[in-house]
Amino acid sequence: MEFYTKPGEYDAINYVPHTESHGTKELWKTFWLLLGITVLDFVIYFVMGPSGFRNFIFIFFGLVKAYYIVGAFMHLKHEKINLALVILVPMVFVLGLISGLLYEGSALEVMKSM
Amino acid sequence: MANHTSTQAAFENQPTWAGGRSPFNVSYGKLMMWIFLLSDAFTFSSLLVQYGTQRFSNVVTPITTKWPDPASIFNHFPFMHGLHLPLLFVSVMTFILILSSVTMVLAVEAGHRKSKSEVARYMIFTILGGVAFLSCQAWEWYTFIHEGARLDGNTFGITKQGYDHLHSVGFGDHFEWAEGDRTFGPVPFAALFFIVTGFHGFHVFSGVVINVVVYIMTVRGVFERRGHYEMIEKAGLYWHFVDLVWVFVFTFFYLI
Repeated sequence: MEFYTKPGEYDAINYVPHTESHGTKELWKTFWLLLGITVLDFVIYFVMGPSGFRNFIFIFFGLVKAYYIVGAFMHLKHEKINLALVILVPMVFVLGLISGLLYEGSALEVMKSM
Repeated sequence: MANHTSTQAAFENQPTWAGGRSPFNVSYGKLMMWIFLLSDAFTFSSLLVQYGTQRFSNVVTPITTKWPDPASIFNHFPFMHGLHLPLLFVSVMTFILILSSVTMVLAVEAGHRKSKSEVARYMIFTILGGVAFLSCQAWEWYTFIHEGARLDGNTFGITKQGYDHLHSVGFGDHFEWAEGDRTFGPVPFAALFFIVTGFHGFHVFSGVVINVVVYIMTVRGVFERRGHYEMIEKAGLYWHFVDLVWVFVFTFFYLI
């Protein structure tokens, strides 16, 4: 098996896969979804009083919006799973950073109070 | 172009990582854009995590925080003086950004159909959305600075009521009084607002510049001659990423 080509025959730098339009249906659906969730954010903000549960809802909605932006608008849902994993797996470590540093932040205040 | 595609097809049956073709089935440029966006995601993550740490370090008791309530500060709307309208203006900004995201993705879709005029039209809408968002942000900054916020100072502390409460539970030593009816607040509140929204705004600005360049290239027929409109997709990836960051800025700076 030969995996290489003659110079100029296949150019990895300039190679662009053929793409086709899949219509605008999914895009508009995503738009209405994002708009709906934002309106819901707005409503919840005024209907519910501030609480940890409300914050949880806002963060959950934020993640849902992120899923649709990355998946549909940035087309990652339709890319090869390899590419999606390369992009998404490193972000998992950010979750560790968040939980670690939020804990450290609270501890900082306890230190100041002592 | 056709030659490239047919040669690529010769490798389709080879194992993914055997070489000779893109294992992700995307072009080099698009893959590099994704890698750049990953690094940019880390940049914004570090800024937002810093914000979270500072905010958590100002929670005195589970129900009392020195961190100012965003609803009491970002409550202005253009041409509506003196009204308490929290979240309204920033929701309008969010709507503008979502709308410009959808016109961007429509430009990408038009690019797949190689329809030059439609790509150009949707790019114009996207650029207008970006400019509108930046104008809103300029107004937001102007109002915030006008009320006394600085990169190294924050006049938005807790209210007299909260101050009295903290004294009654023995946490009053943390505060000193500002002029007026509030304490000086934690400095990172204003500083991180300027840094994070500023960094995001700078990304929007670069996105607008990229979109303008891509629009000019479209109108001049560069992509038509090239045979594909992939540059629109790459600009689009960046633009959607800016929208994605805004989702989290909106959540953590305004909603929570």
